[in-house]
Amino acid sequence: MGIPKITPIKSQLVNPNKIEDFPGPYCMSFGFDIRPLAQSIDRVGLVNCPLLIENKNAELTVIVGYRRIHALKTLGWDRIPCGVLSEFEVSPLECLLLNLYDNLATRKLNEVEKGMVLNRLHSQVPRKEILEVYMPLLELPSNEPTLLFFIKLEQELDTEIKEYLVQKKISLQTAKMLLKMESDERSHVFNFMSSIKFNINQQKQFIDNIIDLAVIENKPTHELLNEPSLKAILVNKHSNNPQKAQAILKLLRGRRFPSLVKAEKAFKKKVSSLDLPKSASIHAPPYFEEPHYRLEVLFREGKELKETINRLTLTEDLDDLGDPWEKDV
Amino acid sequence: MSNFTIKKVLVEEGARKRAFTDEVLSKLPGIPVQHVKGITSATVSDELDMGKDTLHLLSYKGEFLKPCPGTREYICCGYQILNVATNCPINCSYCILQSYFNQPNLRVFANLDEKIDQVLKEIDSKPECIFRVGTGEFTDSLAIDSITCWSDLLIPRFSERKNAVLELKTKTTQIDRLVAGKYRDRIIVSWSLNSPYISAHEEHKAASLKKRLEAARQCQSEGFVLGFHFDPLIPHPHWKDEYLRTIELMDKYIDPKGIIWISLGSLRFMPGLKPIIRRRHPGSCVLDGEFITGLDGKMRYFKPIRIALYRFMRENLEKWHQNLGLYLCMESDDVWQKSLGWSPKNTIGLSSYLDRRVVEIFG
Ligand code: SF4
Repeated sequence: MGIPKITPIKSQLVNPNKIEDFPGPYCMSFGFDIRPLAQSIDRVGLVNCPLLIENKNAELTVIVGYRRIHALKTLGWDRIPCGVLSEFEVSPLECLLLNLYDNLATRKLNEVEKGMVLNRLHSQVPRKEILEVYMPLLELPSNEPTLLFFIKLEQELDTEIKEYLVQKKISLQTAKMLLKMESDERSHVFNFMSSIKFNINQQKQFIDNIIDLAVIENKPTHELLNEPSLKAILVNKHSNNPQKAQAILKLLRGRRFPSLVKAEKAFKKKVSSLDLPKSASIHAPPYFEEPHYRLEVLFREGKELKETINRLTLTEDLDDLGDPWEKDV
Repeated sequence: MSNFTIKKVLVEEGARKRAFTDEVLSKLPGIPVQHVKGITSATVSDELDMGKDTLHLLSYKGEFLKPCPGTREYICCGYQILNVATNCPINCSYCILQSYFNQPNLRVFANLDEKIDQVLKEIDSKPECIFRVGTGEFTDSLAIDSITCWSDLLIPRFSERKNAVLELKTKTTQIDRLVAGKYRDRIIVSWSLNSPYISAHEEHKAASLKKRLEAARQCQSEGFVLGFHFDPLIPHPHWKDEYLRTIELMDKYIDPKGIIWISLGSLRFMPGLKPIIRRRHPGSCVLDGEFITGLDGKMRYFKPIRIALYRFMRENLEKWHQNLGLYLCMESDDVWQKSLGWSPKNTIGLSSYLDRRVVEIFG
């Protein structure tokens, strides 16, 4: 794809009010902070002119430099030097590529912006070319599922969720999980999550459990999220957000994994009833999957270790320690 | 004729001008045939139907005989997979093949007839070993046998070997070619069974349990040795009553003395399968259980749930008959002990146990 050389384009002064206010079909800027750019222009002036395209009705759309125009408007400039191309000189795809290469030369695109690029390219460029040329350019793995995910991300996620993603308040994995939901369900789950401020790991657990429970209990997610037990945690004035997050996850986990949680509780109870020496502790393997439990003894010298071992041999009820579910199976 | 509709045939370059391909095409008159260069870019994840009605003939470059991909952490049966095809027309909601292979379509290897001699040579070169070979790991052994005629190619060759058995594992009733043939020795016809509920709701396009057992009875009366596989066992509402009904049906149709083995396994899968099941089988109950991450990284039921399933099955199967060759698929020593009351300790131990069953039954 040949891209027109823009060096010979003469710049002209354009009234910013005549430039359309939204990013338009070529710009791929999302979730940016305009202040540093505005400060820089305020100090050293405008180094590179934005590039615009004019249609037959004399309407101007930004090809390159949307952020700059935005900053200049904030600074109150009433004339902006811009390069202006006519729509007869350059095709929409060329405009798109001008913007893409201009951006890639100066900064890294965030995930939402990558989605914007791929979404726009996919209506104009053969899929094979997107996979082979543009995905590596965006530092993305060249495969169909990734391409489809980024296109969906752009098309289906609400602006607020995109903002959370760009601000790294949710992970790409969380965005992926949210995208698998119907739009209504997604906004219920997202609103709940953002009100409680789960960390990234907690977000995955929360979504996993809430989706599983909705299927298992055959209830819509919003009904689950509105249950009194969850509401009570949300409005509890005595706990802060991290405590609420923990409490919610604990509640959901207990409901999703009743036997596992019961076994964990029973094991903990049994161990704490054993009156072990203070320097000794007993641990279960993750999910009780490995057959062995672990005894941990802290000591400074052999004599102390010996004493602990002696006390352990005298510990009553140690013989009964075993798989906590044995009587239930 | 197969109950599975083939709507399209793709023939890769390497499969063209082969006797096998011509045979297959002659059995599918009127079905559009497309000649393709090689691997298409489509992946399983974009195709909801996974191309289950597209027969894709190709020449397979890899090893045809491979040991079962067991893991170090659990005891494996030491089975050998004869890789004749990948993917399957039956469409069980829990099928691990949905995430295992990244290529759609029923991919059938058109060069099996050329490579089978190499496989047999390998078997013949180790007369001291017993090769328990099966074709039902990456596909159903019999679902499209009326088109591929694998049984015609394989059964006579395995039947005449003293250090091998061939197990054909299926959820269908496609036994016509088997019973029409004259070979019985060293051939095991096996059915995967489940509870009536799981069979009806999760094993789409499989024959009903009753039909499977009727086919098994016919094979047994024709002189075939039978195997059964309860894999995956799935806890679901009233699972005890449900699995009891299956055992009752077995009792009605099958003489237990002619069974070489019955395996018990519970659902396990790579984490990546979960979203695929959710997307492809929205009403499925197979993900409802309490899954934990196992020692091999696969999701499996929390240990006491597995033990309860196996114990229950063992108790009730052994009420029916004591000597069924029960074994667990991919389980740990402690789960063996707690559910079957003994353990082969490791993969070598389980292999020897199953080899002994082969010797007991076939000599
Ligand atoms: S029969 Fe076996 S291979 Fe075929 S879909 Fe079902 S589980 Fe998968």
